[in-house]
Amino acid sequence: MTIELPRSGPAILVVDDEPRILSALQRSLRREGYQLFTSESVQEALVLLSSRSFDLVVSDHKMPGMSGIQFLEEVARLQPDVPRLLITGWTEEIPMEELRRVGACALITKPWDDARLKATLRRALGMEPVETPTEWSSAGSSSSSQESRLR
Amino acid sequence: MEQRSIGLRQDLLRNDDSIIQNLNTAVLVVDLDGRIMSTNPPAEQILGESPAQLLGEPVARWLASSGEALVRSTLERGERFRAVESFLTLGDGARLPIGISWAPLMDADGQRYGAVATFQDLTGIKQLQNQVLQTEKLASIGQLAAGVAHEVNNPMGFIHANLFQMAEYVSDLRRVWEGVEALRKAAAQVDSEELRSVGAQLTALAEEADVDFVLSDLGKAIRESQEGSERIRHIVQDLRDFSHQDSGQRGMADVNQCVDSTASIVWPMMKHLVVLEKEYGEIPLVPGYAMQLKQVFMNLLVNAYQAIEERVGDTAETGTVRLTTRSDETGVFVTVEDTGTGIPEDRVSRIFDPFFTTKSVGNGTGLGLSTCYSIVQRHGGRIDVESTVGEGSTFQLWLPLEGSGDDD
Ligand SMILES: Nc1ncnc2c1ncn2[C@@H]1O[C@H](COP(=O)(O)OP(=O)(O)O)[C@@H](O)[C@H]1O
Ligand SMILES: [Mg+2]
Repeated sequence: MTIELPRSGPAILVVDDEPRILSALQRSLRREGYQLFTSESVQEALVLLSSRSFDLVVSDHKMPGMSGIQFLEEVARLQPDVPRLLITGWTEEIPMEELRRVGACALITKPWDDARLKATLRRALGMEPVETPTEWSSAGSSSSSQESRLR
Repeated sequence: MEQRSIGLRQDLLRNDDSIIQNLNTAVLVVDLDGRIMSTNPPAEQILGESPAQLLGEPVARWLASSGEALVRSTLERGERFRAVESFLTLGDGARLPIGISWAPLMDADGQRYGAVATFQDLTGIKQLQNQVLQTEKLASIGQLAAGVAHEVNNPMGFIHANLFQMAEYVSDLRRVWEGVEALRKAAAQVDSEELRSVGAQLTALAEEADVDFVLSDLGKAIRESQEGSERIRHIVQDLRDFSHQDSGQRGMADVNQCVDSTASIVWPMMKHLVVLEKEYGEIPLVPGYAMQLKQVFMNLLVNAYQAIEERVGDTAETGTVRLTTRSDETGVFVTVEDTGTGIPEDRVSRIFDPFFTTKSVGNGTGLGLSTCYSIVQRHGGRIDVESTVGEGSTFQLWLPLEGSGDDD
């Protein structure tokens, strides 16, 4: 099944080795007016990245072959200006310094809260002002017992 | 011959006895009938009996059946046993784990005339062993839990998102269906045979499929599934906390701060039922993982709240949770005291076991206290509980000032 997506609007590349996460994200973002490019492998994503420019790159953290952090580091080399987001099961999993080092601007936690996911993406794309004083925000599930704030 | 042997035996015994009396090891000497001929102070202390109560008595009285078999083999066949684990049955009926060795006693002619036992109280060692076992058990469950938590989280991610999306789709479809209904009613009024028959067909289809019911039940089914997925997410979170994969930074922890910030996180949840009392002492920093300590306090606070909730039920009563911190030269003490249900005595020994819970599905995974236990263990500390049913429970934590050997 493919989900019809707009052919214009900000171009977002999402990388996750779990295809069902990708299609769930496509569902969530169907009406947001983005051109969503998805890839199940880092290698494929890197090829895409060298062939065209993106407005935002979102990557899962735990993937075979290369971690999300490593991948975003590569992205930073290929397209230094593109904002980068990391998806992770648990925010504490990734040290703050690591995120800073690869210039990731926010975390998305799995499972994600729909409204917060959308807001995080808009912020990353500069379409919505950053509400918190810190540049670090996250799109975790709001009911998460451990608030997914970055430490 | 018989005469001479008895005399010699008594000789030997007299000589042996002064040695036996001065040994630090517990010793029992028995004759061929298994009656106690001699004991020494360490043995009397372990058995809790005076020499007069022991001498001449059959040793079997204090031995468990397996222990009795040993002494019989020694007396009947001259067999020797070294450091066999067994039990003593004490006067008050208590069972004491011991390690016992038996050797036959021979006279100058090589005739067996009795047996000698040395034994050791193994209570302390057994406790230590149990502790090690518990720690190992927790470690392996922790590894398993971490793996499971990771694997479950991906499917949780898309199930959660898809259910949300499905709920949106359903409400979109319901709106469309309302439009269709309006159209169907309008068609019935129109003076067109064709339209009326299409409308009638649609009515028949809708009735057959029970569309109104389907649409509302679909919404309900999705909501219930969302509840289920939320529940799974909590279990996964608990499992992951339990395995504490990311142990955070080891440093100097401000225990007062850890307790207080955790209390403010759970406060909104419990304020309608609980009066929170705080009594923080001036305490030094302790070496440890602040994140993990917060998790300990979180678990204790949630349990305290749940115990109060269970106790007050639907009444208008409230309960009290009291948090205190203090220190002495050895370390920092934290107590979490509640006026909840209390814990029945026979349950106390199990509450720290992984997966032990008395709570209903969705309210407890039984991992909270075992997580606390392993975190405290990692800090080289202790966690104890005192509880009275109907009055409440007090969990006390001790965290040493000297770092434990844990530097992994
Ligand atoms: N403060 C308390 N008061 C009464 N019972 C408690 C308290 N804390 C723990 N318990 C008992 O210990 C059990 C295990 O606790 P825990 O390991 O935190 O798991 P859970 O809370 O998920 O059941 C609880 O189910 C409850 O029976
Ligand atoms: Mg609990």
